[in-house]
Amino acid sequence: MKKFIKRFVKVRNTTEHFRHSEHYKTRDIVSAYGFLTPALILAILFIVLPIILAFTYGFTDYYLLKPNDKEFIGLENFKRMITDEVLIQSFKNTIKFVVFVVPLQLSMALGLALIVNKKVRGVGFFRTAYFSPAVLSLVVISILWTVMLNPTSGLINELLENVGISKQPFLSSASQAMYTIIAISAWSGCGYQMMIFLAGLKNIDGSLYEAADIDGANAFQKFLFITIPSIKPILMFLVITTTIQAFKLIVQPMVMTGGGPDYSTITILQYIYEYGFRHRNIGYASAITLVFTIFLVVISIIIKKLFIEEKAA
Amino acid sequence: MKIVKKTLFYILASLVALQFLLPLIWMILSSFKIDEVIYRDIDTIFAFVPRFSDLSFDSYVELLGFYNIFKNVGNSLIYASVTVVVGLTINSLAGYALARFKFPFKDWILIFIIALMIVPIEATILPLFLVVNQMGLINTIPGYLLPFIINVMNIFLFRQHFLSFPGELIESGKIDGLSEVGCFFRIVMPSSLNMYITVGILTFLASWNDFLWPVMALSNADLMPIQVALNAVFADTYNIFTSHMMAALTIITIPIVILYIIFQKYIVEGSMQSGIK
Repeated sequence: MKKFIKRFVKVRNTTEHFRHSEHYKTRDIVSAYGFLTPALILAILFIVLPIILAFTYGFTDYYLLKPNDKEFIGLENFKRMITDEVLIQSFKNTIKFVVFVVPLQLSMALGLALIVNKKVRGVGFFRTAYFSPAVLSLVVISILWTVMLNPTSGLINELLENVGISKQPFLSSASQAMYTIIAISAWSGCGYQMMIFLAGLKNIDGSLYEAADIDGANAFQKFLFITIPSIKPILMFLVITTTIQAFKLIVQPMVMTGGGPDYSTITILQYIYEYGFRHRNIGYASAITLVFTIFLVVISIIIKKLFIEEKAA
Repeated sequence: MKIVKKTLFYILASLVALQFLLPLIWMILSSFKIDEVIYRDIDTIFAFVPRFSDLSFDSYVELLGFYNIFKNVGNSLIYASVTVVVGLTINSLAGYALARFKFPFKDWILIFIIALMIVPIEATILPLFLVVNQMGLINTIPGYLLPFIINVMNIFLFRQHFLSFPGELIESGKIDGLSEVGCFFRIVMPSSLNMYITVGILTFLASWNDFLWPVMALSNADLMPIQVALNAVFADTYNIFTSHMMAALTIITIPIVILYIIFQKYIVEGSMQSGIK
């Protein structure tokens, strides 16, 4: 909290040069509130109000089709969450996705960035090629891969057979589906992060490498002791954004597997969607929303804190 | 030695490039074939290399025969454009007010905006649905668009940008008899064009790619944006021809490819900016 206030004071001080006098001018007040009102109304309606609703409905048995029948049931919904096996499964699935996809996708992105950071002819082509999946929407990617991964006649299985590997079930197998989604997500997302890494690599002072050359450092040492520390802020930024984004996984399983087979790919957000939207069970889904939202806020604060302390050290 | 190294680099870089390009090449190439040819070619090199005698527009013609894809593509283009125009105006006005004027509760409003930035919007999508439902706006275009027109991150980005906007420019506008609103639209906005394009393009892409919210907010097939409509076609008719599906995927990828070609610079810059803030 202290840090937050300190940071806020810093933000505030930057506005100081607009403060010509200590008194407010009526004209300024009128203009300012005129300019702010549309945004504030929308923010209260569509960001604040939903949070308040999650808080209130989370403690009720509200069922959308019987709106007049909702009763306060205390912590009942939260107790139910602890013993809800599908919810626990979806939490595990989500964690599994995050734990695998973040390192995989980021190391792929960094590898690609290192390739396209070489100053050789034709590197622009490679950059465009690596970036190209990022242009497709998640729905397009999900449908394309579902077709290509068809267990009987899909492109990937035909290619595997050509090199002597037997056909794999991929998305229709409970043991393979989540890993398949992880791989596809990393494949489609890494080009975008490659671009951000690339901007960081371009900013590294070339004389650092020259000095290392004189000291006889090899390529791996240069990578470990010059490249990584130099792009650390960007790396941390990408870790934060990718992690938070990964927790909110829903489109790929929704389109590719519907959460199956055997709940092996259902995620938390998808579970909320199924319970609250499809089954109209608002009370219980609101309770999960509440816990999930708080969980995400805490996670992002923790990662940011790690990041800030690292930077200070 | 140097030549060997260079050759190795090109081989490696090309092999990696194939991993990313082959699925897309297959998608586009298959959209110009009939299913019989797709599956005849699938375990040969011709899955990725065109033989011009096999290619035709048949799958596009057939697709449009049973599904008017341009209607939903049009919806998406309109939704994304409206979100960009209205969103940029509302969010940048708010950012401008927070940067330029001195007024009571300014600090509190700023804290409020910064605090909202930490809310994971998609996580609260169910209560958002309840709010819009309560307002009677489910299955209406305003109900779908309004919640994502407001973007607190963009308000903050605009405020940071306007903090360094030269005050003399605004003063000179006032001397010329412009009102505050006039100054904003005639001076501030045009001289911050880069900023508007950067934020605008990211807003456009986010809106075009959006999936979960329109699934909940719009169930009327005539109003659906393309991502949702496509998924409905894909899920409902599992026996849809592969060639038709690939034609649909290719059609809806084209507008975004064009956008990327034109605005490449802004897209990368923008995602950096919103990250580093």
